[in-house]
Amino acid sequence: MPRENMTQWDDKLYQKVDRYNLVPNLDECLQCGKCTGNCPVAALHPSYNPRQIVHDILLGEVDRVLQSEEIWRCLWCANCYRVCPVDIHYPLLMMQLRYLALENGYGLKYVTPINKYAYRSLECGLTFVPGQKGIDKIKGLREGIGVDPWPKVSKKAIHEYGEIFKQTGAYDWMKALDEVQAKGEEKPVTLTFLGGRLVDERYDTEEGS
Amino acid sequence: MSAMTQKRVVKPQERIPEIPEKIFLFRSCTGSMEYPGTENCVEYVLKKLGIEVIKDPDQSCCSGYILTCSGHIAEPSLAVTARNLALVEQRYGLDTYVFCNGCFGYNKELKHIIDHHPEYKKMCNDLIAQWGYHYEGKSTVYHVQELYYLLLDRIKENVVRPLTGLRVAAHYGCHYLAQQYGILDEGDLPTFHEEIYTALGATPVFYKERRMCCGYAVGRGFTHPENVVQPHLAKKFDSAKEEGVDIMTTTCPGCNVALDREQPKLAKRGFGPYDIPVVDLGQLIALAFGAPIESIGFNANSTSVDPILKKLGLGKGDK
Ligand code: SF4
Ligand code: SF4
Repeated sequence: MPRENMTQWDDKLYQKVDRYNLVPNLDECLQCGKCTGNCPVAALHPSYNPRQIVHDILLGEVDRVLQSEEIWRCLWCANCYRVCPVDIHYPLLMMQLRYLALENGYGLKYVTPINKYAYRSLECGLTFVPGQKGIDKIKGLREGIGVDPWPKVSKKAIHEYGEIFKQTGAYDWMKALDEVQAKGEEKPVTLTFLGGRLVDERYDTEEGS
Repeated sequence: MSAMTQKRVVKPQERIPEIPEKIFLFRSCTGSMEYPGTENCVEYVLKKLGIEVIKDPDQSCCSGYILTCSGHIAEPSLAVTARNLALVEQRYGLDTYVFCNGCFGYNKELKHIIDHHPEYKKMCNDLIAQWGYHYEGKSTVYHVQELYYLLLDRIKENVVRPLTGLRVAAHYGCHYLAQQYGILDEGDLPTFHEEIYTALGATPVFYKERRMCCGYAVGRGFTHPENVVQPHLAKKFDSAKEEGVDIMTTTCPGCNVALDREQPKLAKRGFGPYDIPVVDLGQLIALAFGAPIESIGFNANSTSVDPILKKLGLGKGDK
């Protein structure tokens, strides 16, 4: 099966992805594939291939990388970064690539649900505070081991944490994603790297995912 | 950004040249809520090792987790890191010790970005100045496990409940091992947790997938669907089961959630079944140090630790 069936190219893709200038050495990539060889996701899902993603970003294959379902599979374990001979910080690349995908309307379903914890963290300065039932359970556990029922987080910490999110525009950025989704404008992601690869039918087909 | 001249692996004495009398302990959200015993035991162990612990309610979450899911842009996390570390350096002049690989990876990585990009440092300082903070980057970020290892002798002296016969396996966690530079042990074949188990009287067990990622299963159901996480975790647990592991330790409450809470769900999907309790390394050390069992907080676990306590003669009814 031919791999190159995407047609939309963008010469500036790399610059657009690396908006924070965190992977300035991406074009030094040797295409050695050590990242892929050490990637636990690639080991189970061959259509996820960090080496190829780096390649496509450098070449500007905008279509394939932005609407890719595969890019949402990275666990951010940084094994790729650990072994990369030229120190490419792939997880930071992935973080920024996902920003671009989100801003283009792809993959919102992967982050908006977890953002309910981000919103809640603005009210309590802690991430992953559960609902009331969970809170009661935590209080019970904490009292059981003989510590204060709730971790000590000051009003000052909560206020400043929330303000940082508001003043940097992060709060509005998250809200904008919610709005796109509420309007039903989220675009579908697909497995875009399947071509020419051996696949595991249980997981690497559209139905399996 | 990276400096290839830096050494990949350093000796504990190089990493922490002087044993601190006092440290700032960075609260982990997951370690104080999901598994509150973790925070409690880390403090207990440090105290036994003769280290004074300072905490501060003005410290906030490190904000790293949602960032790694690309849930929000990076600016707030840079500023939150600068704020927390500025607070430590200004108020206490101490180094920052974390007990979560997540807090470790994010604080260290974000600090590295701030320190190496003057424009981000300025952005952070301009923002946090309104509350009187100024970040200079003087508080170094360490993980408490590094201190444990440096104090291996003190650990040996404090063992009153040797874990004889207990087969313990390590899960080091990516955000410690995958740090490119300046970590305690070789990322491919680390052994310092195993050395700690030996000091506690336990038997270290090496299993094939011990380096393998926890699968990020907190994000499971959100960023990471079942089809990505479950076969991955099954691979890890299969290899641990093969080696007859009794109990597994982590140094990251996040990994702990993934490895502990996911086991019953794996069984429902036809993997396993596995019954390998997963606890924090601090909890295991506290157990060997003779901490009262209730204070260790094993009851927060989904995969019960009771069989292990029974094996050690510490179960209910044993005395
Ligand atoms: S390991 Fe590094 S150099 Fe090699 S292909 Fe991956 S990103 Fe490129
Ligand atoms: S960070 Fe992502 S790409 Fe890199 S090894 Fe881990 S799962 Fe694979």
